[in-house]
Amino acid sequence: MTGDDWPARVEATYAELLDDVRLEGVDDDVGPVAIDVPADRWVDALTAARDGLGCTFFDWLSAVDELDDGFRLVCHVAARRPGALEHLVVRTLLPREGATVASAAKVFAGARWHERETHEMFGIDFTDDGGEVLALDRLLLPAEFEGHPLRKEFVLAARVAKPWPGAKEPGESDDAPAAKTSRRRGRPPGVPTRDEWGPHE
Amino acid sequence: MDSAPTELGLPSVGPRPEVAAEPARYVLDRGIGYSLWVFDLGLACCAVELVAAATAHEDFRPLGVGPFEPDGGRADVMVVAGTVTDKLAPAIRRLYDRLPEPTHVISFGSCANSGGPYWDSYCVTKGVDQIVPVDVYVPGCPPRPEALVQGILKLQEKIEGSVRS
Amino acid sequence: MSDHDRQPRGEYPETLPELPPRTRGVIALIEENCTSCMLCARECPAWCIYIDSHKEPVPQAGPTGSPVSRGSPAPSGRSGRERTRVVLDRFAIDYSICMYCSICVEVCPFDALHWSSEFEYAELDIRELTHEKDRLREWMWTVPAPPA
Repeated sequence: MTGDDWPARVEATYAELLDDVRLEGVDDDVGPVAIDVPADRWVDALTAARDGLGCTFFDWLSAVDELDDGFRLVCHVAARRPGALEHLVVRTLLPREGATVASAAKVFAGARWHERETHEMFGIDFTDDGGEVLALDRLLLPAEFEGHPLRKEFVLAARVAKPWPGAKEPGESDDAPAAKTSRRRGRPPGVPTRDEWGPHE
Repeated sequence: MDSAPTELGLPSVGPRPEVAAEPARYVLDRGIGYSLWVFDLGLACCAVELVAAATAHEDFRPLGVGPFEPDGGRADVMVVAGTVTDKLAPAIRRLYDRLPEPTHVISFGSCANSGGPYWDSYCVTKGVDQIVPVDVYVPGCPPRPEALVQGILKLQEKIEGSVRS
Repeated sequence: MSDHDRQPRGEYPETLPELPPRTRGVIALIEENCTSCMLCARECPAWCIYIDSHKEPVPQAGPTGSPVSRGSPAPSGRSGRERTRVVLDRFAIDYSICMYCSICVEVCPFDALHWSSEFEYAELDIRELTHEKDRLREWMWTVPAPPA
């Protein structure tokens, strides 16, 4: 349960920064208060959260693949008040092609590791002050890994290679596959067939 | 890391017992099998069950299990407990190579057996037996601490049997 | 009840621990209850249940004995279409991948799968960790009675 004045304080702080402030998560007491900012004001928004609202606790920075909308970069920060934390989520939307945003490491030093992970998982580029894209080292993936795994179009190869045991109909076995099925073959969700994806002879 | 597959081969006790006389081999069986020093390689949640097994008994010596060796430099059996990721796999291989012969490996839990619930992940090694030769597989997610003791007893049975032949 | 009260004075392996009634040790199968509906194989998140089955014709009953089928029976008493039933050939659970989530036990509409609290089935060869239906039936004798 956030303090009663927390959404108002967030709104007041960002009213100076942005033209149009729309908060989410205020009416329901379930999730944290969230604010969307334009991508070119990313560092300014985080600086305002740290200095203007006292959000000195940097918790998490990552991205969500919103399919056609692009990548939504999400940063969780928190402000300490006696006996509790005020939680704020700062978000911005990046296009899928050429997703680039300024690095938040100057505002919160701990964001550098999170940006490394976000870069290798989604392919989002982070720039320094001069606009140069930072060459971020791999954090969690091995050196020879190819691709960006947390993107929605990344296919899990193990699921394509292993035949789904639930694909068989009752009364069907490996030796005697069903000759003709009138209804559509069941497939596990999100798994392409071997014809659609994978190496071909 | 080169991409050629590593020939792992089966673990052996070493050259001497094979040429020793039967009574000597009988003694070596017992000597190895009943003084196992355990290196617990706890990687994920199964490590908690491993620690629960290690601290449950006041004295493991009646079972023939020595101290749970934290260093890993002198252990006889390496218990891999938890998910093995592709990034950590070379380190596990180096740890195994560093242990003096004979080294036995117990794979503890579904993740170490075959990748477990994360078998379809992009970065999980599907079983630690892809990297090191495994002697005993303990199933469970996570297995009970007593299941680890049973796995070690099974390993002792195997050691007894293998050197004798 | 603290853990100290739950455990007997002796230690494993001399004494087995006293386990609560719904402990998830291993899954047992009653083959007679299974109709090969494939629900457990489809819902298993680890894809570790392997089911093979085939269809067999049901022997028809005599002119007076056959039950009423959906269409009205012919005057001779035989229903028009030959009825088939599904016979289970293979039911295997791969315990090297199983994550003991209990989804298969919960989803089975015919109560063919049950939990047993046995945990001592470590193997030397990982292929032995795939239990076929005869071994799954053996686990059935260790399933505790349901609480009253």
